[in-house]
Amino acid sequence: MDETRKQELIKTLSSRLNQAMRMYLDNCTRCGTCIEACHAYASEPDIKYSPVGRAQNIRRLYEKYFKGAGKLAPWLSEAIEFDDAVMKKVYDTAYTCTGCRRCVTYCPFGIDTQQIQSLAKQLLIVADMEPKVLSMLADMSIAKGKNIDKTKGSFATAVSNLETEVLERWRSEAGAKAVPLDVQDANVLYIALAGKHSIIPAASIMNAAKEKWSLSYFEAVNFGAFVGNPQKTKEIADRIIQEATRLNVKEVVICECGTAYRVMKYMTGEHPFKVISFIELIARYLQEGRIKLDKAKLQGRKVTYHDPCQLARNGGVYEEPRYILSHLTDDFVEMTPTREDNWCCGGGGGLVAMGEKDFRMKSAKVKVDQFTATGAQVLSTACENCHTQLSDLSEHYKTGVKVEYLSDLVSKALVQE
Amino acid sequence: MVDKIFYFIMVPMVYLAFAWCAVGIMWKVVSILRLPKQTHTLKIFPEKSAAGLRATIEAFTMPSVRRHQPVLWFFLGVFHLGILGLILSHLDLLPQINLVSAESKHMLGNGAIGVAVTVSVLYFLLRRFRTPIREISVPADYLILFLLFLIFITGDTISWANSWNPDGFVLTKQDFGAYLNSLVHFTFTNPRDLLTGSHYVVIVIHVLLANLLLLALPFSKIMHTFFAVPLNRLRRV
Repeated sequence: MDETRKQELIKTLSSRLNQAMRMYLDNCTRCGTCIEACHAYASEPDIKYSPVGRAQNIRRLYEKYFKGAGKLAPWLSEAIEFDDAVMKKVYDTAYTCTGCRRCVTYCPFGIDTQQIQSLAKQLLIVADMEPKVLSMLADMSIAKGKNIDKTKGSFATAVSNLETEVLERWRSEAGAKAVPLDVQDANVLYIALAGKHSIIPAASIMNAAKEKWSLSYFEAVNFGAFVGNPQKTKEIADRIIQEATRLNVKEVVICECGTAYRVMKYMTGEHPFKVISFIELIARYLQEGRIKLDKAKLQGRKVTYHDPCQLARNGGVYEEPRYILSHLTDDFVEMTPTREDNWCCGGGGGLVAMGEKDFRMKSAKVKVDQFTATGAQVLSTACENCHTQLSDLSEHYKTGVKVEYLSDLVSKALVQE
Repeated sequence: MVDKIFYFIMVPMVYLAFAWCAVGIMWKVVSILRLPKQTHTLKIFPEKSAAGLRATIEAFTMPSVRRHQPVLWFFLGVFHLGILGLILSHLDLLPQINLVSAESKHMLGNGAIGVAVTVSVLYFLLRRFRTPIREISVPADYLILFLLFLIFITGDTISWANSWNPDGFVLTKQDFGAYLNSLVHFTFTNPRDLLTGSHYVVIVIHVLLANLLLLALPFSKIMHTFFAVPLNRLRRV
């Protein structure tokens, strides 16, 4: 590694040393309480997959460049310099961390591994070692934002092609657009994913609730956050913020994507609109009696629910999915452990987008054991990453469990009076 | 020559170590306070009521450790309470403070506190040699625990060997109090004139090790003492 690159890395490390990061890097006593919090370690007990094991790479670099003891007696803290071998280790630990933050609940200090690994990911970008697929996807999202006027027409055409499928689920009033776009002063700006699976169920539910809503031109997923690039994360989120501001919407509703929800709700500052998840919106419709569901659709099948980490532990949406499920089935069973203690599915942090199927399957064995122990035939969830990962797991381990989006279950159970 | 070295350890070095430690702690705290704050929340959900108070309670009671590592939690509790007890028992040596009777020959706890922290720190140290803790430990982790162990074991020796002498107590709480009082009042009295027992050398070693701990403290993991509450607040508030 040449000196210029090394200096760039030191500068990047320095730029991330705010109060929280300094305290995280300085105060770990390496008590090891966090070790068994990680699903990857629980499935494959290798210390590099433990939260503290992952953080040690960054901590040793920090000791070397920012601590007197690390400069004078590096052997004391095993302080290390930037080089290619070290960065390879950083890669192995940063992109095997899903950022689920389960370990934060174990640590007696609450040291945030996701924060430390986001710093690790930023270092990998500077070292030109980040997964290129994630950078490419982030760049595509940003380019779409810059050229939106050129793509609006083709997007509108693609969306109009979905209308028949939406109407099959819910017959809207004559003349009403099944998937409206560019609705000024809408109550809801719905941010979907790239794919009809996150548009059709949502559209049918909002139409059933007679909502004044508009579909966003932009996809919710934030690859900037996955790749660990704060600038790109902001640029991708800004596209949606600008659209919501332009349309003067009351609420931005994020589809079933945990990271998109957390980024928009908690990591982009104050907005002139409210940010909620689509799950919260469905629960509200049920509470207000704006939609009704038919329990017969899930009759005879036991249902469980996987709390997506970014939606639940890192977003606070726990009760709403359970409230929705209470309207869908009388045969619901919780996983053990559940809620904030729930095991991560093992697909977050960009792992699903990166592929990495072999690692994802091995590192989430504990998740398979957890959901198969419920005896449920249907595993519902509310995050695309989780859905893909859980489906892959179910198929790989031949569990026979069907993984379903909560919105899809709701959409199919809508009662048309 | 040895007397001069012993005097340096027992008097000037104590002042230097305390001053170094105090300045080091302040420098560390200020250097962190001067950094920019985190721009977005790092909260874990569900949100708890009275989050600030809860964070403080969690910092002191470590409920996550109790849940996941109950044996470690037990020894952590004994150790931290023991440290508090040791601070109080050393302050109690001063004639102006009397948590136990001024006439008592023993320090607060009759030596039991010292044994409790010694056993705890021995557990922490031995635990570091076992997988998986061994894999995450660095030399500084062993050294700081070993230093604490030596401080405690010499403290135990002073406390217990002192009272087991066939002639009864050689040095009493009052003798140690006189030494501490001379330090507090900057009299620069030679401690040998106040501590006449035959195991004076053990006391010198105990003080030397404690001085070394104070010198190392601002650069060690013991600084978590000052950051445990703010760290827990990041997770809760």
